[in-house]
Amino acid sequence: MSEISPEVPDNRQDAPSHVDPNSTRITKPGVKRLVLTLSVLFSLVLGFPFLWKSVEIYRSSLPFGEISEMESNPSLSFPCRFQAVFINFNSNPSPNHLQLSILDKITELTSNSSQCGACANDLALSVTVDSISSCTQTHPTDNSNYYRCGAISAVDFDFSNDDDDGVDELLESVLGVKNVYSVVVVNGGGEGIRAVVGKYRHAWIVGSVEEEEEESVLVSRVAEIFVKMFVNGGTENGLIHGEFMPVGADRRIVLSFNLLNAEPNDWVYDWDFQRVDETLLAPIIKVLGPIANISVESQVLYHTPKSSFSYWDEKWKSYIFSTKDLPFFVNSNEWHLDTSIAAGGRSKILQFVVYILLLPSPFIHFLYVPSAKECPLSLLLPTGEISKTNGFISPMWGGVVVWNPPGCLNSETNHPSRHTMSREDLQAVFEVFMGQFRQLFGLKSNNLYIGASGTYHLLPSGKGFTEWELDVLSRQFACFNLHSCATTLGSLSRLVQSLPRMIIMDEIGKLVQFSLEAAKLAQSNASLGDNESSAVSSGQARSLAEDAFFHPSIMSISYYSFEHCFAIYSPFFLPVSMHVLLAALREWKRYKQEKAKYTAWKAKVKVES
Amino acid sequence: MMVRYKMHNSFGFKSLAAMLLLLILSSSTSYRASAETTMHTNNWAVLVCTSRFWFNYRHMANTLSLYRTVKRLGIPDERIILMLADDMACNARNKYPAQVFNNENHKLNLYGDNVEVDYRGYEVTVENFLRVLTGRHEAAVPRSKRLLSDEGSHILLYMTGHGGDEFLKFQDSEELQSHDLADAVKQMKEKHRFKELLIMVDTCQAATLFSQLHSLGVLAIGSSMKGENSYSHHLDSDVGVSVVDRFTFYTLAFFEKLNMYDNASLSSLFTSYNPTLLMSTAYYRTDLYQRKLEEVPVTNFFGSVMETIHTDSAYRTTFSKTSETIMPLQQSVEHDESRQLINSNVQDQTSDTKIEQQEEHRKKIREQMMMRYKEEKEAKKEAFRKYLDSSGVLDALTKVLVALYEQNDKPSSALEFVQQKLGAPSVSEYEKLQAEMSDLQLKYNELLAAHQENCKELEELKNPQKTASTEENNDAEAPKDEP
Repeated sequence: MSEISPEVPDNRQDAPSHVDPNSTRITKPGVKRLVLTLSVLFSLVLGFPFLWKSVEIYRSSLPFGEISEMESNPSLSFPCRFQAVFINFNSNPSPNHLQLSILDKITELTSNSSQCGACANDLALSVTVDSISSCTQTHPTDNSNYYRCGAISAVDFDFSNDDDDGVDELLESVLGVKNVYSVVVVNGGGEGIRAVVGKYRHAWIVGSVEEEEEESVLVSRVAEIFVKMFVNGGTENGLIHGEFMPVGADRRIVLSFNLLNAEPNDWVYDWDFQRVDETLLAPIIKVLGPIANISVESQVLYHTPKSSFSYWDEKWKSYIFSTKDLPFFVNSNEWHLDTSIAAGGRSKILQFVVYILLLPSPFIHFLYVPSAKECPLSLLLPTGEISKTNGFISPMWGGVVVWNPPGCLNSETNHPSRHTMSREDLQAVFEVFMGQFRQLFGLKSNNLYIGASGTYHLLPSGKGFTEWELDVLSRQFACFNLHSCATTLGSLSRLVQSLPRMIIMDEIGKLVQFSLEAAKLAQSNASLGDNESSAVSSGQARSLAEDAFFHPSIMSISYYSFEHCFAIYSPFFLPVSMHVLLAALREWKRYKQEKAKYTAWKAKVKVES
Repeated sequence: MMVRYKMHNSFGFKSLAAMLLLLILSSSTSYRASAETTMHTNNWAVLVCTSRFWFNYRHMANTLSLYRTVKRLGIPDERIILMLADDMACNARNKYPAQVFNNENHKLNLYGDNVEVDYRGYEVTVENFLRVLTGRHEAAVPRSKRLLSDEGSHILLYMTGHGGDEFLKFQDSEELQSHDLADAVKQMKEKHRFKELLIMVDTCQAATLFSQLHSLGVLAIGSSMKGENSYSHHLDSDVGVSVVDRFTFYTLAFFEKLNMYDNASLSSLFTSYNPTLLMSTAYYRTDLYQRKLEEVPVTNFFGSVMETIHTDSAYRTTFSKTSETIMPLQQSVEHDESRQLINSNVQDQTSDTKIEQQEEHRKKIREQMMMRYKEEKEAKKEAFRKYLDSSGVLDALTKVLVALYEQNDKPSSALEFVQQKLGAPSVSEYEKLQAEMSDLQLKYNELLAAHQENCKELEELKNPQKTASTEENNDAEAPKDEP
């Protein structure tokens, strides 16, 4: 109002004295102040986008398209190359006919399980019939790696001999080609059919075959070896489920071997773990290299009572605990197993923790030595038998073996005695460990496989895993890793898209990019048939995806409500913008009012004149 | 630019986006569906006390009591994340230094040996809490402070402190909103960090904290409804403050009766809360939880029952070979030689071989034969076992024996009992049946005789007619063929 008042005297000077200043106006109202206030308002409005731009949150662009593409189809297609060699067949069956019937059988066996890692769509089979007089062979598209005619008959080996290892080595020297799985069928030998699966990538069937019927039996056996052994690894459900996936997100496993002395007042046992590590574990760790990065630690603990009960059984002459008690056997409050991590060198362990980010649990293998009070301690199975291994596993956690010291029944010593486990005992225990380790990977350890069309002998490998088992594991792990990578990236992209106010650092973008690249590499390696490098790069893809998802910067702001935003910005802008807006409004109102007065006066003057 | 502006300002858009997201999540891939059927393998517990200061003694006592309970029921320390916002045991006002009690009778010192506090004092913040849940830690955070759960984990999340409508106060300075909690749980679910999650909250208006949850597999229970307060149980005049909250007190009372072998169900826990004793209404939200509460033992969350699988067989192999790897050079040389020998000619070999070697070889073969024989025997045994199993014999026999075992006063004739259980009649019944059978046999004989007589009569009556009828038939058919 104070600004308006100076104008009024001016009007009075010029205008006739009878004009009422409240209702009429004889000069044009000034626009200066209106322009001023409006320009301030406009500059504020114009500045708003700049402000918005300046407070914009930095979001590294993620390849959402590629992620969703990966998530929709995270499959690997491994090529499978099979060959079947029939030796000493006098009736000379046609290889083409055999090939067709074997392929039929294979598709029949694979039809009910379409899982990742099994070769459903890329399958090639070559059949050779090699007899003394002639040799016929069917050639698949690429024939470079297959069996050369006469190679086996040239060696002149007696297959009916029972030296399985010898046969295995021989076949490896003749057929040893990577990525081709072979079954050699030999006519001759004793009565019945005997099938053996070797340590490498081949199997052989020895039997006397004369009639047509027997041939179909052979065909179904060959197909079964291909599908159940070489593709599925001799397990019922091929794909390793999450709970049986004992490798951490960073492809690391820590094998922690613990020797628990239940009651050191009775006896104290020690072991020469160094030797076990060097001689027995080292080759296993080496062959599992493509799947997991394994490190080993060990400790001996005392005073570790178990938390379940046992009772004396006269029949077995031992203390018995049954499978029902197994879930309560591990006494987690008394067995300080994680101390091994602290004891095993701090710097290394820190690194372990860093990489272990998501490692669900390291494998812990225990050896449990019962106290004299309950020795021998045996595990009673539901079938009413005593367990041969005296051990059990818990998925994702590890395994336990109860070892009864020799001569524990008649030891009546009052003072504790110190012992070291003998080599033979350690060997026996290690074999059980190995069985448990394989069990945790989903593989069976008995050297016999009972299939639909007969039994198969499996030759055990000195490295703990045969080559075809390693192939199966590599394929399954590659698949699991790729699935996990795809779902993790998918979750990340959904999270990022659902939180528009979240900062996404360049680092996350890079991790996602690298992860996708590694995943693609895994896929291309898989289609080339390189199981190992596919497993390695899929593992990298998975660990990079996990790193991206669990990046600590994502925590900065996850839930950001509108009220929150309003509360942050209103203290800055509410006081200023309110004033500017109100001033502009009032000026506009005043101008309109004054103009109305002026036009009214002008009209009146016109009428008067 | 415009889109972001809109997203930022309009509330409706956000909820729409959330719904879309839910839709996307529900139509997930088949692989994820298979992951949901994984078995429960391990248990974790996250126990949080969120309030500071001496007068909140009871919140720490609540948390420590729960800690003691879950440890007693079998969750190991390395799988418990314990967060205590203050240190009451060493507070200057604590008349019992280094001791914490949850009852005025002071029978139980909660702060005894082996209490491993993972986050203490000012470390207990909303950010750290959410980091624990989502797993987004800085690289330097040690393993013991992380929730390293997986898709087979059951997690118990217990929180106590001061709260209000849709928030829980941390450290008297910041708040955990229900949105934050729901968001963290959603992310945990996305990354398969749990199979089932039980959230238990003892605070005022605890039920409001669960309102935003929408992830499957989550079960939530709070001490009070919206608008209700949760009260402390009793005041310890020696300590000078209240030592436990009502909801936690009655929870503990329930668990004190249990040990790790018990099979009490979650519903029995939930129905054990009496609103008049609590002075508030315990609220539980089950719409996100798939299993029936009556069938879920409390030890699925408050204890740890390990899933175990028996190891069938050891991996028997000649690991002696691996011991040779110490001298790989020599070994490989030998190996090559032997292979050359095989390859060059077998005939040369036979002339050179000594009798001893042959003898040894034969022995070896014999041993192998024996082994194989044993293996085959095993296989046969296995096959027979499988057959018994599949045909249900094993099952039936086991049931019978179990029944016999459970019989309090053992029957004089066990064999008879077994026969009876398997469905065979008892001796008296057998005799009765025998008698009945002989009766029936007699009757049958009589009837048969009567029947035969009747038949004969009928035959005699029919015979003349029959011949006539056949002729008739022939006559009837013949004209049909003709035209």
